[in-house]
Amino acid sequence: MLMSVSEAIVVSKVSKRFALAGSGEGVLALSELSLSIGAGEFVAILGPSGCGKSTLLRLVAALEQPTGGTVTVRGEPPGKVSANHALGVAFQDHALLPWLSIHDNIALPFKIAGRRADEAAIARLIELVGLSRFTRARPKQLSGGMRQRASIARALVLEPEVLLLDEPFGALDAVTRRQMNVELQRIWSARQITTMLITHSVDEALFLADRVVVMSGRPGRILREVDVPFERPRDPAVTRSERFHRMVDDLTAALETEEAPL
Amino acid sequence: MSAAARSVLLGGLGIGLFLALWETIGLFKLAGISWPPLSAVLEMLTDGSRLPLFQRALAATLEETALGYLWGTGAGIALAALAHLVPLLRRGSDRLAAVLNSVPSIALGPIFLVLLNRESTPAAVSSIHVFFIVFVSVSSGLQRATAAHRDLFAVLGADRFKRFRRLELPAALPALVSGLRLAWPAALIGAIIGEWFGAPRGIGILIINAMQNFQIVLLWCAVLLAVASSLLIYGLLTLLERTAYARFG
Repeated sequence: MLMSVSEAIVVSKVSKRFALAGSGEGVLALSELSLSIGAGEFVAILGPSGCGKSTLLRLVAALEQPTGGTVTVRGEPPGKVSANHALGVAFQDHALLPWLSIHDNIALPFKIAGRRADEAAIARLIELVGLSRFTRARPKQLSGGMRQRASIARALVLEPEVLLLDEPFGALDAVTRRQMNVELQRIWSARQITTMLITHSVDEALFLADRVVVMSGRPGRILREVDVPFERPRDPAVTRSERFHRMVDDLTAALETEEAPL
Repeated sequence: MSAAARSVLLGGLGIGLFLALWETIGLFKLAGISWPPLSAVLEMLTDGSRLPLFQRALAATLEETALGYLWGTGAGIALAALAHLVPLLRRGSDRLAAVLNSVPSIALGPIFLVLLNRESTPAAVSSIHVFFIVFVSVSSGLQRATAAHRDLFAVLGADRFKRFRRLELPAALPALVSGLRLAWPAALIGAIIGEWFGAPRGIGILIINAMQNFQIVLLWCAVLLAVASSLLIYGLLTLLERTAYARFG
């Protein structure tokens, strides 16, 4: 495990129970889960659907409150961090505002934070995600991949302390998804922000992350943690290496044994 | 033929058929003497000597309607926004609006007459009609922002006012414009009813006078004026609504 001097995200014995109509005890989505992510570390959370991995991200994003245990981001409760506009987030749904241009969507976090939009930073990011020709376009006019790139640019524009990615490429086709992974790897290598990526794609997790955490479902627990040995910046060629394939097979098997009884 | 052209053609055909039927029934007195042919109504409407009368009446009614429309819209948006931002007020404002709507405007007329004056009563009744429609449409429109957008604003640290201004209000615009479209005919009806409580002039006064003096053709003229002005502005608002949905929907 990559040891960092400071832990950016600490999840400590967290449980989350959702109320369910007709069931007194509800559904236990997470059970005494502990995980810490170091400053500048990229961690991918891998798991079958319904294993509570999105719930974990929502707890770190202060969108949910834990039933038991604590979550801290840089030593503070997540709600305080988000109120300080220090979180960046991208969901599977790009969540761009349909009435704003791409430029204005990416500038939105400045408006919410009540800061003056840093036009130079916005332009650099738009350039970085390859949307320079589309700054005045509306989200509706762009392809799915372009919208996700815009939503990642929006997540990065305030230089957040923590970046939260909830299956940002989950709705894309395989080819676009691969391209987006390559781009995200390039973008992330330029900044190295503490990142938590939720995904169900083994390839994606291994290509992007420093560490892969495999979760089991119902209730969500950590099954395995694997350090990813590949050097950065990573070339897409790495995904064709023998070692990469072996790790994919290994993690896929771990996921399958977990999914079998469901 | 394109679908749009077809729909325009069919619509035109329908209106033409309706007008021809009106003319035929009137011409042969199929519905008795109280149904004049369209040509007689149009003849009176375009009669030079009566033109000032129609102009004055229409101008007065449209002015009252516009005034009531503006007041009602302003009050509807303001109360819906306030109720949205201050959850404590939400239930109370819903009930207030429902109660106001359940009082027939014919019963409100005399109250306004006492509270205000006979000149302001048409606009006041009209504004009550508009208020309810706009309040309901804006209230529901403010709930229309998607869960993903709400999550995004929460994670970015937006307080409720920033969320309101940058997310909920723009997302509510299509619903507001739909409300505005529906509110216009209601505003016109409100103004006409309001005029019956003693306004000095207006389409409503024209209707009452024509009715009491058995001036059948004049009565139809007044009704036709009311319908035409209502439809015209309703049509313009429909165009505005389409634009709003294309941009904000």
